[in-house]
Amino acid sequence: MKLNTYFDKIGGFVITGEVGPIKGAIPRDRAVVPRCAQEAEFLHGRVHAINVTDNQSAVMRLGSMAACVGLKARGHEPIYQLTCRDRNRIALQSDILTAYSLGMDNMLFLTGDHIRLGDHKTTKPVFDLDSVQLIKMAKGLREGHDIVGNEIENPPDFTIGAVVNPNFVPLDLQLMKMKKKIDAGTEFFQTQAVYDDKIFDEFIKKAEKFGKPVQLGVVILKSPQMGTFMNKNVSGITVPQEWIDEIGSVNKADRKKKAAEMMAGFIKKHKSKVQGVHIMPLGWTDIVPDILEQAEIKINGVEG
Amino acid sequence: MHATIQKPIQEIVRYIKPGEKVFVVGCNNCAWKCHSGGEDETKNMARRLEKRGVEIAGYSTPGPQGMSLCKLDHTRKVLMEDYADPVKKADSFLVLACGQGIHTVIDATDGGMVHPGCDTIFGGETVSETQIDEFCSLCGECIVEYTGGLCPLTLCSKGLLNGACGGAENGMCEVDAQRECGWVLIYERLKKLGRLDLMLPYREPKNFAKWSRPRSLQVSPEEAIFCSQDGKITISNQD
Ligand code: SF4
Ligand code: SF4
Repeated sequence: MKLNTYFDKIGGFVITGEVGPIKGAIPRDRAVVPRCAQEAEFLHGRVHAINVTDNQSAVMRLGSMAACVGLKARGHEPIYQLTCRDRNRIALQSDILTAYSLGMDNMLFLTGDHIRLGDHKTTKPVFDLDSVQLIKMAKGLREGHDIVGNEIENPPDFTIGAVVNPNFVPLDLQLMKMKKKIDAGTEFFQTQAVYDDKIFDEFIKKAEKFGKPVQLGVVILKSPQMGTFMNKNVSGITVPQEWIDEIGSVNKADRKKKAAEMMAGFIKKHKSKVQGVHIMPLGWTDIVPDILEQAEIKINGVEG
Repeated sequence: MHATIQKPIQEIVRYIKPGEKVFVVGCNNCAWKCHSGGEDETKNMARRLEKRGVEIAGYSTPGPQGMSLCKLDHTRKVLMEDYADPVKKADSFLVLACGQGIHTVIDATDGGMVHPGCDTIFGGETVSETQIDEFCSLCGECIVEYTGGLCPLTLCSKGLLNGACGGAENGMCEVDAQRECGWVLIYERLKKLGRLDLMLPYREPKNFAKWSRPRSLQVSPEEAIFCSQDGKITISNQD
């Protein structure tokens, strides 16, 4: 189902999760369930859709497309992520058509982390298009033509999502890009992980003027080490020291409980300002139901 | 200018077969500025190779300072006339210059055997006597009118045309925390110039047919003809 359907409903609040495809192939033996599919099970009935990342952090993995098809077959609603990093415009368009043909109703288009951040550091970075151009091209396919203007048969139909980073300084530069993404055809946004109330408030105050649905993006903070690691290695995301201290204040056995409480508190505080939430669990999908419950949100609308 | 750095001497020595007589050629323009193949480095390379048992037929850095090795007629005259004897004796040429210089030596010596003595790393601005930085990627169709003269294809690690990715932190690029984000630089500059309006329009994807290889250029005082996979483009220099 196209996510638009949910965003368009009055008061529609869209909940999405995320899984990363495995580093390897899907076993032919159907009795063996790949980890990403196992993770998705915890999200069943709790989220509207699940993002499937595209070689996230430039680490080579199973294709997003195959994982999306697998999730769809198991009754999930995948969001096919597609980045500009590894494909030229021919491959991008072809993959969009293929993804639609294989049943994908939702696609999220991004620039993609640079190759230097991943495990294939000497690869040729492609970036034939940027994310704005990719979105415009995707919209063109939906309207029945490819990027050079040739007509295509059976134009695909899907909801176009994009990403915006509220942490970006100067914020205006990021908002200009957001506006360009909207003009190019973006129908909803997921934010990069935010942890700072002030940063998010400043962002959403400006972003809501565009009138496009925004989902608050959160990455589950699993440990103080992860916070420090993200600050050092994950581009464009800052985890405040208070968060690091708080998750570090309990011992390992209680971290899941604590993390759920922290994430839920943050979501609860901001849910009235957004049209949805995008939870990036990095494997901890099992605590997503707990987060949603504590944040008092359900897929059939905002509670309370 | 074409920035070059010398290859490690051990690697150069490996290129040369036992008994092979080598003529070392430098460049008095770019490679001179880079200290990778000026007169001093060329002479020194001959000495360093000799020390390692390589037989040197001769060496030359054609022309006065400022003369480019890639100017074929000049290089041909120097190698084939001024240095006719040692060049005749040489089995190969070790070129301390960029790839254009290497090819110029092939042409100048009617197909002589060449070895690259340098890695050609980029086209750059000679910011000072000790610093060369890259500001242009030689793409074939300049777009810096819209970016305050700063090239996003070069200064942004991803070559994005419609603004910054989400990865910059504190104004630094996600690829290298020591280097400023090209788009933050462009934004700050346009802001200072009062031209942030230039950031707003959608920018079309790059025409990579003009960034195809190999490209060629025919020049005259009247017009220039640029040939790429995009076809032939004739530009008047007078009209
Ligand atoms: S756009 Fe950039 S790479 Fe192209 S010619 Fe201009 S400065 Fe050079
Ligand atoms: S951080 Fe800036 S320079 Fe680096 S890839 Fe992103 S937009 Fe380009």
